[in-house]
Amino acid sequence: MKSSDTSSSPEPEIGQIDDAEKPSSSTQRFDMSTITEVPKWQRVLNAIDLPVQFIRIGLFALIIWAWESRWIFKGWTPFGFELFPEIIPLFQGVPSEAVDFFQEMWNDSLFWGDFWVTLQEALLGFVIGSSAGFLVGLLLGSFKKAAKVFSPFLIFTNAVPKIALAPILILWYGVDIASKVALATIIVFFIVQVPVQAAVNGVDPDLDVVATSMGATQYQKFKFVVIPGILGPLFGALRLSAIYSILAVVLGEFIVSKRGLGQRLLYETNNFGMGKAIALITILAGLALILNAIIGLMESRFLRWQDSEARGKVISL
Amino acid sequence: MTNAVELENVSLVFGGEGNKPVLAVDTIDIEIPTGQFVAIVGPSGCGKTTILNMLAGLIAPTEGSVRRNGKEVDGPSRDVGYMLARSALSPWRTAIRNIEMGLQIHGVDKAIRRERAHELISLLHLDGFADSYPSQLSQGMRQRVAIARTLAIEPNLWLMDEPFGALDAQTRLTVQAEFINLWERSGESSVIFVTHDLEEAVLLADRVIVMTARPGRIKSDSLINLPRPRIIDELRFDEKFKEAEHKIWKELRDEII
Repeated sequence: MKSSDTSSSPEPEIGQIDDAEKPSSSTQRFDMSTITEVPKWQRVLNAIDLPVQFIRIGLFALIIWAWESRWIFKGWTPFGFELFPEIIPLFQGVPSEAVDFFQEMWNDSLFWGDFWVTLQEALLGFVIGSSAGFLVGLLLGSFKKAAKVFSPFLIFTNAVPKIALAPILILWYGVDIASKVALATIIVFFIVQVPVQAAVNGVDPDLDVVATSMGATQYQKFKFVVIPGILGPLFGALRLSAIYSILAVVLGEFIVSKRGLGQRLLYETNNFGMGKAIALITILAGLALILNAIIGLMESRFLRWQDSEARGKVISL
Repeated sequence: MTNAVELENVSLVFGGEGNKPVLAVDTIDIEIPTGQFVAIVGPSGCGKTTILNMLAGLIAPTEGSVRRNGKEVDGPSRDVGYMLARSALSPWRTAIRNIEMGLQIHGVDKAIRRERAHELISLLHLDGFADSYPSQLSQGMRQRVAIARTLAIEPNLWLMDEPFGALDAQTRLTVQAEFINLWERSGESSVIFVTHDLEEAVLLADRVIVMTARPGRIKSDSLINLPRPRIIDELRFDEKFKEAEHKIWKELRDEII
């Protein structure tokens, strides 16, 4: 309590509250009518964030221009280091060549045959590998003794560079889709199993205590506590798996195969069909992006409770 | 009439498998008549939570007998509501679905559990927040949702483990008042309320049990003769309240200081 004004209370008592010293400006209120609401078009414009879009488009145009004008093939050797080697014309390919082949391939039934083969391999590998990884991760996360028994085996298997298994898998499963599915399955399995097991161990123990005290059965605890609790890491793993399953089958096709986009890509590259190769690589990337987007849609449906920033977004346009 | 809770010669030892065994609770005897509100006060690690865990059927005593309504406790039961210190709400469930969780576990029909949850939402002044996720609620609201979840199954024994410890002083008063109202109108429910806040214990409870630091033993057991219904925000300044709190404080201070 200030007592600068000695005339009103000459000897203020301890603990006494002096009403007269309330701030005099307390009746003044902020006038909200001076604030005008931002119109809707303005908010949409702000969300689009034009400067960012302009810079993106500019950068994209710059990359395409540098590529199309073959500027990037001239080579760059700063301080004697060959950072970008010079590319001989036979190995050069530019975007405009690729665009021509998109049209050609669209009308080519052989291309679509290869497309379906690769898609089928990737999807099967993705579904089998991620289901198995999910189940094993869930079980080992829940049953600590089992995890103790199996973890050295899993750690060793995971340490194997899985690509090294590809030639053996082709001997075992043949040159058709089965060997590629097997390779994708093994790669995807670990991408899902490891984070799922960690996530099960990371579920808030208080939630388990609450469910137990309410008399929940083991099954109910899985349903109400464990599964919802691991969905975040699970979807993160699934997004990666979609990309890696395509990587795995393309690699498998590179080694030996009769059909598939990977096989087609290898053929075109070996015959210096650079435009076609670029077109095929773009299609493979597009395929991965589409799978990723489908999983992203499922994720936003299941993880509505998390705000969008907390979700690990791989694509955010 | 049988007692709501009986602890007879109860001791509990933790560890043993690899770890050094620790005596958490040492030969405790407590009888709690049906409808009594008992607060257990004591320093951290005095075995307060362990007692609640035994009553909730989550752990068994190493020695002695833990009974509810005359029957030995052999596991969780729908008659017991257990509320933890942290609200422990499922972040993926909206407020109302969190409240319904216990009823869902017991297979109660969706329409009935919705109705019951709505009732609790208005009793705990959560109107308008039924469809909010825990991350969108304030600390006080989350704690209210946890109270509602605990009481939705209509237990006759309420086990509260420092339920308001994380709240700021103002919010705590409001939530305490709401809680005491709910209990006073619930009829015959018995409450065991663990806290380290002596003021809270004396304000709310009929009886305050003070426990010693590890190993947990009963240091004192006093009845609080303050009239009900209690208006707790006013009761804090009542001379009789201060007297009761001071008397118990003298016993507790030896344990803390």
